[in-house]
Amino acid sequence: MEEMILKLKQEIIEVLNLEDIKPEEIDNDAPLFGEGLGLDSIDALELIVLMEKNYGIKLQDPAKGKEIFKSINVMADYIQKNRTR
Amino acid sequence: MERRELDYVVLNQGYVSVNGRELEHEASGNALLTELYRNHIADWPKFFKMDTLSKAGFVASELLIKELGEHRLGSEEFAQGRAIVLFGATASLCADRNYQETIQDKDNYYPSPALFVYTLPNIVTGEIAIRNHWRGETSFYVTEAPDAAQMAFHLACAFQDQVTDSILAGWVDSSRNDDFQAFMTVVLREDAADTGWIEGQLKRMINILNNK
Amino acid sequence: MARVIRCIADNVVSPLGQDSRSNYDSVKAGKTGLARYESMGNISTPFVLSRVDRGIIDALCVKLGIKGNYTFFEKFLLCSSVQAVRESGIDASSERVLFIVSTTKGNTSLLGQPQEGVPDERVLLAKAAREVSLFFGNPNAPLVVCNACISGVCAQIEAMRALRSGLYDYAVVIGADEQSPFIISGFLSFKAISDEPCRPFDKDRRGLNLGECAATVVLEASDEIKGGWELVCGAIRNDANHISGPSRTGEGSYLALMEVLKECRRDELAFVNVHGTATAYNDEMESIALYRAGLIDVPVTGLKGYYGHTMGAAGIMESILSMYAVRDNTVLATRGYHEQGVTYPVSVSSEIRECKGSEFIKLLSGFGGSNAALLYRFVE
Repeated sequence: MEEMILKLKQEIIEVLNLEDIKPEEIDNDAPLFGEGLGLDSIDALELIVLMEKNYGIKLQDPAKGKEIFKSINVMADYIQKNRTR
Repeated sequence: MERRELDYVVLNQGYVSVNGRELEHEASGNALLTELYRNHIADWPKFFKMDTLSKAGFVASELLIKELGEHRLGSEEFAQGRAIVLFGATASLCADRNYQETIQDKDNYYPSPALFVYTLPNIVTGEIAIRNHWRGETSFYVTEAPDAAQMAFHLACAFQDQVTDSILAGWVDSSRNDDFQAFMTVVLREDAADTGWIEGQLKRMINILNNK
Repeated sequence: MARVIRCIADNVVSPLGQDSRSNYDSVKAGKTGLARYESMGNISTPFVLSRVDRGIIDALCVKLGIKGNYTFFEKFLLCSSVQAVRESGIDASSERVLFIVSTTKGNTSLLGQPQEGVPDERVLLAKAAREVSLFFGNPNAPLVVCNACISGVCAQIEAMRALRSGLYDYAVVIGADEQSPFIISGFLSFKAISDEPCRPFDKDRRGLNLGECAATVVLEASDEIKGGWELVCGAIRNDANHISGPSRTGEGSYLALMEVLKECRRDELAFVNVHGTATAYNDEMESIALYRAGLIDVPVTGLKGYYGHTMGAAGIMESILSMYAVRDNTVLATRGYHEQGVTYPVSVSSEIRECKGSEFIKLLSGFGGSNAALLYRFVE
């Protein structure tokens, strides 16, 4: 799980162009949206693409993203349970 | 009558100057934009999410605003009276190509919303408006090539909106990630009556851009 | 006195008709161009779209004498503008005529699918526009307005200003967009497209539909009042909030509305033709802007349920249909609407309503935080 979380953080930093943020700076339990990383609605949509492209998880309802993208831990857990690749 | 010259910034993949003063830099291409951001701006991480057109327009606008000494949070009247009118020939072609890559291949079809949003050239006007809290007019016009007379005419037209007191105006182009051209200036309402003079000022900037 | 700007000819080409009158009659009769597609190109997600039959456009080109190696987008622009220019009777080859094209993506589909005989450079918007002005033998460099979804209103505003400046006497303002997989896939990635006909302002609205349309207005400047449809004023304002999400306070739309209301005679305002895309955020934002501008009781109508979102054409086609509606004392029904679904209940209806007045406001908003409004007035 540790390894997967690090990989996920690196993927997020890359697709969202979080140039000045390092993986260790992202708290596993902190909310991804709102304060902190300064992510917005386009970032949320881009995370949906990431889930499909890298893990084969299709998310039709963007509202569901709100729960899944709560924190790195929640997201990693969801991916672990639902991934098809 | 003695008139001041318009302040301006000229920028391309290998050159950047403010009012004719060349800024030192090491990088070129897209990396030049990042270098300029880090050395002169540095407090707007959204920059890294932008496409090349927006990055070039954003950096040019930031360098110009710094030179002008404008306060980012001006009065309400200033914020509503500042328009952004930009011109370009390639529009969002660079972003279009980047987005097209995400949909071209059936087996690798993952359309990217973050790339798609930049396939509209007026996004650069929005990025600058957001950064500065300006709520005046924002317009993007596409023409065949930078033409000082055509640009001066449409800038004068923009002042027909009586709320518009000043315009951040310029040319922004990018057809590839490492290939961009921009110049930017601020035109005041009192300048607008003399389109010939504006045309002359723009011509000077276009010449610098074409020769660099 | 500022020069008077009048609309002297208009045209709409869409799945609902090939001239403005037939489009208006179809909409009044409740017809829609929207249809469901299960896939297109690499897209495998279902969506609803209003698409123009390519064969009909080719036949129209033959009928109108439009020959040459044109793309669909260029043919579309020509089919509408040739008809409008003919109706106007102007000499479009004069240097006193300015061509303005409103589009968001022009020939972008050439990137994915090049066309034989069409040079690559035609993907540049001004090159495509030049094909149109050259068809008419016009010597001026055409202007392309590329302000996302508000382009059609901006193009009319810029035409009005160019005419008022005195440099031109006529402006041919043409708007169109081709709904290629490029645009459809992009809006799908934004989760903004509904797989059912859109429901503007409805509590169950689930997103927008895209659509194809080409529309033209020919504007004339004169020094005296001649009667007919006058383009009185317009304004463009930015939310300065977010590049894709509408402002939560409706700031830009509110500011644009307040600007055109300065010239509006409120007792003559028949209705506001809104953007009404049927996305959750757009319609909510518009209701806030209308409320803040004191327009909550004015009839509101949206046409996306008939045409979908026609992008570059929207501001022009929706203005033209509004002209026909005002002359018909009619507020067109907002197709797809059933039950109020915005915070500030705007005066919207699924039924045709009667109205009085000689003016209407056209409102649009789009990506880049852009918003625009304009005011047309009919003068006897």
